Amino acid sequence: MVLEESPPPFDAWFGSAVLFFVQSAALLGLLALAIGYVVAAFRYGPLGGGDVVYRRLKTALGDLFSMSPRRILALSWLAVQESLRRRVLVGFAVFVLILLFAGWFLDTQSTDPASLYLSFVLTATTYLVLLMALFLSAFSLPTDIKNHTIYTIVTKPVRPGEIVLGRILGFAAMGTVLLALMGLISYVFVIRVLNHTHDVEVASLKAAPNDTSGARVGRTAANQNHRHTVTLQSDGTGSTDVVQGHWHEVDEVVDGDETSYVVSPPRDLFNARVPAYATNLRFKDRTGKGSDKGINVGNEWTYRSFIEGATLASATWTFEDITPERFPDGLPIEMTVRVFRSHKGDIEKGILGSLVLRNPRTGRTSAGINFEAKDGYIDSRTILPELTDPSGNRINLFDDLVDEGELELQLQCLDMEQYFGVAKPDLYLRARDASFALNFVKSYVGIWVQMLLVTSFGVMFSTFLSGAVAMMATLAALVLGFFTQFIYGVAVGTVEGGGPVEAFVRLITQRNVTTELEPGLPRNVVQALDNVFMFFMQSVTSLLPDFRHFSDVDYVAYGFDIPLNLLGMQIVSALGYLIAMSAIGYFFLRTREVAR
Amino acid sequence: MNQRKRFIRKIAYACAIAALLLPLSWLSAPATRQADGRQSDGGVLAQMRQEHHLSQATLGEIDPASETIKLATLGMRGVAANVLWQKAHDFRKREDWVSLSATLEQIAKLQPNFVSVWVYQGWNLSYNISVEFDDYHDRYYWVIRGVDFLKEGATYNAKDPRLASEIGNTIAQKIGRADEHVQFRRLFREDDDFHGARPRAQRDNWLVGREVLLEAQQWVDREGISIKGKSPLLFHSHPVMCLINYAEALEEEGTFGEVAKNAWQKAADSWQQYANRDLPTQDNTFMRLADKERFDQRSQEAQAELARLAPDGLREKIFSEKLAALPAEQRETYETAPAERTPEQNAMMYGIDSALEISHLEFADRIKGENRSAALKLAEEAMQADHMALTIDIDRGIVNYDYWNRRCQIEPQDATLEARKAIYDADQAFTAAQLLKARELYEQGWTKWREVIDANDFLIKDAGHVEQLCYSIANYIALLHQLDEQLPQPFMLLDVLEANETFTGRAVPGAPRSQSEQADPTQQLPNAPQPAPAEPPAPLEPATDAAG
Repeated sequence: MVLEESPPPFDAWFGSAVLFFVQSAALLGLLALAIGYVVAAFRYGPLGGGDVVYRRLKTALGDLFSMSPRRILALSWLAVQESLRRRVLVGFAVFVLILLFAGWFLDTQSTDPASLYLSFVLTATTYLVLLMALFLSAFSLPTDIKNHTIYTIVTKPVRPGEIVLGRILGFAAMGTVLLALMGLISYVFVIRVLNHTHDVEVASLKAAPNDTSGARVGRTAANQNHRHTVTLQSDGTGSTDVVQGHWHEVDEVVDGDETSYVVSPPRDLFNARVPAYATNLRFKDRTGKGSDKGINVGNEWTYRSFIEGATLASATWTFEDITPERFPDGLPIEMTVRVFRSHKGDIEKGILGSLVLRNPRTGRTSAGINFEAKDGYIDSRTILPELTDPSGNRINLFDDLVDEGELELQLQCLDMEQYFGVAKPDLYLRARDASFALNFVKSYVGIWVQMLLVTSFGVMFSTFLSGAVAMMATLAALVLGFFTQFIYGVAVGTVEGGGPVEAFVRLITQRNVTTELEPGLPRNVVQALDNVFMFFMQSVTSLLPDFRHFSDVDYVAYGFDIPLNLLGMQIVSALGYLIAMSAIGYFFLRTREVAR
Repeated sequence: MNQRKRFIRKIAYACAIAALLLPLSWLSAPATRQADGRQSDGGVLAQMRQEHHLSQATLGEIDPASETIKLATLGMRGVAANVLWQKAHDFRKREDWVSLSATLEQIAKLQPNFVSVWVYQGWNLSYNISVEFDDYHDRYYWVIRGVDFLKEGATYNAKDPRLASEIGNTIAQKIGRADEHVQFRRLFREDDDFHGARPRAQRDNWLVGREVLLEAQQWVDREGISIKGKSPLLFHSHPVMCLINYAEALEEEGTFGEVAKNAWQKAADSWQQYANRDLPTQDNTFMRLADKERFDQRSQEAQAELARLAPDGLREKIFSEKLAALPAEQRETYETAPAERTPEQNAMMYGIDSALEISHLEFADRIKGENRSAALKLAEEAMQADHMALTIDIDRGIVNYDYWNRRCQIEPQDATLEARKAIYDADQAFTAAQLLKARELYEQGWTKWREVIDANDFLIKDAGHVEQLCYSIANYIALLHQLDEQLPQPFMLLDVLEANETFTGRAVPGAPRSQSEQADPTQQLPNAPQPAPAEPPAPLEPATDAAG
């Protein structure tokens, strides 16, 4: 799986995140206080204004400490009932409809259908739930205020903060139920659609070449746009090769004169690998000199760096916490290597590579473990604890090569003028396999977090905007959240073409992004305006949630366990936004006549 | 009263709706296929769609997935297509082939009748994405994915020659010409899922590709369907080139005798049909590639007749006048001996030659009296014949007509087939370390090739053919080296070795140098750079045991 940014450890992240939250809250709070005071001073004079602000703060603190969970729950229940009244189940019906006809839209010949189907159901669920949360949260309060039904609530002894929080929690609860239902149906859908077996083409079974044990090789019939090669041992048991990310067990069943073949359902189709990634990857160039990166073979995407074959160039991963207790049967390595040939070479053969295990302190190494690179595929192999060194002496992995839990794995390409391309996450130890079902649930937690964010924003905006405008504002927050990286790039100037004003000028004057604008007053004016915009954009993107970081689709689709630290970061971030949005919503609602 | 008015208004609306339904039905009723297989024409729009092959005109042909995606974009199909193209580009950059493939399907469903999308992305899959993989099995898979993608496009765009041409050419050219063509052709033959019930013997990529190309050709010939921007010259050459390539591939894989002879004969017959096909020209006329000689002859006859009608010395007179009319500098240049002209004067000569050229009309115009009208007519005839000959000549150059025409004549001949077989067998024997047998076969082969080349000297001017022969000569030299022998002098295919040096600038390792290079003193210097081996004449590595 491509992992361009690894999630940091939770404890390291939590401290800085809380600090950022407190700083932002304090800064925004002071700003809001200053604006509030200016407005109040304008209306009531300097002293009167100060008094109004003081009273508001005092009331807010009072409201905060007198919030009743019972009243919040009651208001949440009202929100749930309102959701049901507003046909929220239509969204669920649409989801079922999409799944019913999903087969029409999905690529039937995909090389990795599990990844495709999982991506599809998770993405469809995300979009539907976020849309539903958007509509529910943005229109609820404005509709109540417009229809005066809000008076049935505000005339009761409830606090504005309870109204805001009650709405958010109520809609979130409704969304949770819907998500649970969608998750269950999606899971059953994916499992059932991809579950299959094959018939063995009996006529194809022939004695395996260069084999004296009586093994036979043949193939299965095609099903779900693929077929497998079958290898049957002399005892009648066997298996297929891996195609479309899975394989099958095959058993020969002899019943009197009749022989039949039973092919199992797909194996390893759905995984939740728990990888132990290296802490560091460093390269050496062709002369053996260390460098941070390998060479670029001309790819626009620089995720992977390449090392040259038959030279001193290498890529070395450093692993920590390697203990016999953790890996009693040896190191289960999974490796993805991209191959770049500078000449055709022998087409029938893959490019040869070598893995060497190295003690980071003593420098002692194992003999090279040679392999033929499987370009673009995950190559799984287990390195047993008993090894030999380059002189042929027996050595032990844990005693001789691991030092204080640290171990280095060095990759080299052995074929001259050919190249291997790797990135840090391309080689890892498959520490264990987690439950796929649980991983699926975790991915839904990620969607739930996104739904909570949208609901919080929607309710917050609806406290002071009309329904349609609140919806547009929430949608804008959502869209900005999905393109945070790009907008931030524009704001800090890493995206070519300048800020929005410069981009507009380029658009109408048909200049490409790399052409310099002519020096002079117009350029200065444009750039000055852009600086204002870019400061604003930078501030907004710093405060808005980056929705891409809340999506765990790739982990599930590519068969990797969603790390708990990532999930923890997502949940804590969402709670932070929930608190912030509730507070902002509270103050805005207080300004409304209905809530005074 | 009000109620009555409302009722009447409703009735009026209903009547208006019903009345509007009639022209609506007349205009846009979809064509339908009846249970008995008959098909109704549908409304005017459906008929026009059918006529212009614009989209699925028959209700049963409409793809619900495509229609749903189109409707789901709520009129923002263009925007959605742009976003998907951008995503596809991004997925390709990030080497996410599963997502890329899925996105291409979505783009195609969004714009099913935009043929360029199918063609571009089919090419992308077969040519650009396939080479991203190291294992040729994976490469083959993506080549076929591209073909399947194009086939899917053909179901949405029935009888579109552009798509059919792409399908045929991808099957033929990509599988038959790739670096991995040996492996691809083998996998193609073994691909039961692609071929279905097609017998193994017919699973040659050149023949299967040709089937599709021929079908497209028939749509054009019989139904008058436009090939929309494709060159007719090339479009109609593809099926016959498939036959030629098929025959070549047979020999490359060691099939000779009657099978190869028949394949070449069929290719030769097909080439003659192609040469005699009416092909449109840019002047909105038609020409046949085989007709050049006829037009040349017609021009010569007209010119001879024109000369007969003209008074003696007229041409020389006109020429003298033209020469006299040249500016002094140009006249001086013309009168300077070619060897003594300066570079500037040589450059000037092009303009001078044009100025001195006497056109047929110019010549005829100077004929007076009773022969004048006949002369002008003959001049016009000669000019037209020259124009057609030139047009054909240009088109012949595009399809390499003369070369393939001669190959089609030579290759089915027994002498050529025997020469090729002898050398093929010799190469195989050499690879199998049967050195004595290989030497005997090589020597037979050289003798046969000498006969073939003597009878068809153009083969010596063909760089590809020379390179192919030199590959085997390099093997022969390596074989002799292992037998402690030298290349016999004079070698009977010395002209082939010299031609190879001319084409590549390098000599075959171990072969005698050409006379000009032997005379070059720099070649005698001890540190002079050694010639690199010719491509691909690096000799095959025989097994260790000698003497077969």
